[in-house]
Amino acid sequence: MIGLEQYLIVSAVMFGLGLLGLVIRRNVLVMLMSLELMLNAANLALVSFSRFNGDLDGQVFVFFTITVAAAEVAVGLALVIAFFRKRHSAGVDELKSMRL
Amino acid sequence: MELTLILPEIAVVVIGVILLLIDLWAPPEGKRPLIAAAAVVAGLVCICLFVFPPALGEAFGGMFVMDALALFMKQFFMAGAVLMLLFCYVAYDRLGGRVSEYGVLVLFAVAGMMFASSSNHFALFFVSIELITVSFYVLVGFRRESVMSLEAGIKYLILSAFASAVMVYGIALVYGSAATLSFDGIAAVEGGLTDNAVFLVGLLLVTAGLGFKIAVFPFQMWVPDVYQGAPVTTTAFLAAVSKAAGFILLIRLVFTAAPETFRQWQPLLMIIAGATILYGNLCAIPQRNLKRLLGYSSIAHAGYMLMGVSAMNAAGRVGVLFYLVAYMFAVMGVFMALYLAHGNPEKDDIESLGGLHLRSPLVAFSMTIGLVSLAGIPPLAGFVGKFLLIEAVVRDGMSATGGGHAWLVAVAVIGILMSIYYYLAVVRSMYRNAPDARAKPVSIHVIGRIYLYLCIAGVVIFGILPGGLVSWIKGVMTGFGS
Repeated sequence: MIGLEQYLIVSAVMFGLGLLGLVIRRNVLVMLMSLELMLNAANLALVSFSRFNGDLDGQVFVFFTITVAAAEVAVGLALVIAFFRKRHSAGVDELKSMRL
Repeated sequence: MELTLILPEIAVVVIGVILLLIDLWAPPEGKRPLIAAAAVVAGLVCICLFVFPPALGEAFGGMFVMDALALFMKQFFMAGAVLMLLFCYVAYDRLGGRVSEYGVLVLFAVAGMMFASSSNHFALFFVSIELITVSFYVLVGFRRESVMSLEAGIKYLILSAFASAVMVYGIALVYGSAATLSFDGIAAVEGGLTDNAVFLVGLLLVTAGLGFKIAVFPFQMWVPDVYQGAPVTTTAFLAAVSKAAGFILLIRLVFTAAPETFRQWQPLLMIIAGATILYGNLCAIPQRNLKRLLGYSSIAHAGYMLMGVSAMNAAGRVGVLFYLVAYMFAVMGVFMALYLAHGNPEKDDIESLGGLHLRSPLVAFSMTIGLVSLAGIPPLAGFVGKFLLIEAVVRDGMSATGGGHAWLVAVAVIGILMSIYYYLAVVRSMYRNAPDARAKPVSIHVIGRIYLYLCIAGVVIFGILPGGLVSWIKGVMTGFGS
């Protein structure tokens, strides 16, 4: 029998993987994907809490999160493309033009 | 009819959409008058908001609350929107033909801030934060011909999206333990959750995400690069207005959703406030770039305001709101002066301000007044704000059992002394150094001149005669929180 606990463990693992990807990957596109993974981990937690609390608010909240995440990625990709045109790279090592 | 309660937000969004549509057909020479027209219409909405304040009440099942505090903040944000649109009009050469797009994004961000000031439910809380931040991603990276601006935009995007992900995860945990997303509902069940680890971790994650938006230590790492790389108008907007949105959300969260838990966390909030004040001021001292210096000092100002929140009393909340008003006038004046003084958008060195008083006495004077107010020297508004915040902490320390908060007051005073040093160093290099031989005299558009007078007047009047504003804010705060 799969209960709330199993869903939450999967969600926590997804969140951790997203965090790990954000920290160790050096490409902005992969970092954006890791962020999506983190947001989806939160969505999974929301939906499973909603299911097991018998309350629909959490599932409705997930729609807002998905929409907002899409908007965020749309703007993010635009910024990355504009930057790529200037520097021909999407690596974070290029993001160092500002210093003390 | 519930929609009448959100009329101010509807008005702002409609102005934005109409501006976007007219811009499609506007000839290139019509772009600048168009942004002026938008500023005038926004100004009319702002005046209406003051003269005919909308009715108070709740809407959408208690999700949206229109109380005196929300009304005050909406008036504040609307005034900020007008100042920003005027700034766009003056800084037309910096933003170019896409100035209307910029104005639209400013208006949408302001709509998000107005929703934020009324949020009483985690759904509205989250969506309004995201409306603000997604608008800001574009505003920060707006000068797409500049690598610095794009770099600042990408940095802001990654770190801010990370903060949002943490915040949503926190909201999920709070929802799981409290079984509701409404602030009133959470406050009702909070008493039984003070030992619930899931609830506490969730609330901590939400607070951390919010701490990122207001840039308190240890979530401040994005500030210097974003402030330096963003266009000067965006930096002003980020510092003066967006910080206020973060604080109103924090006040709602702390005093409406979970007052008991945050009362227990008071030492944590105070430690963060003290660390933020020290970090911001210490890092600001060696800076040579004025935008970067103002970025670090804005971290310190967030620390002072967090100190007011952490005092957990009405006096602290009054201090925060007063400080936000004083801060907006000072920061807007400083950034307008900075824009007028520098011809080149990529160079904001303090050295190149040398001899500014010979190039334009007004610009140098308004920069000085703004910086002196930020430093907290009487008789300007910044001093009154800092005084109110410290007084609130002392008052809470006297009512608390034992100890008081003497260390926090000491940290705040040390921070103020450090800030006087680096702000006055800027003023000194402005008046003492000779101007660069190649520097041109400053030409100021008449609107820019009025704008500077307005900022100086705000800082001076609220500094010499703070009584009216303080008693107004006290009236706003009666009946809010415990």
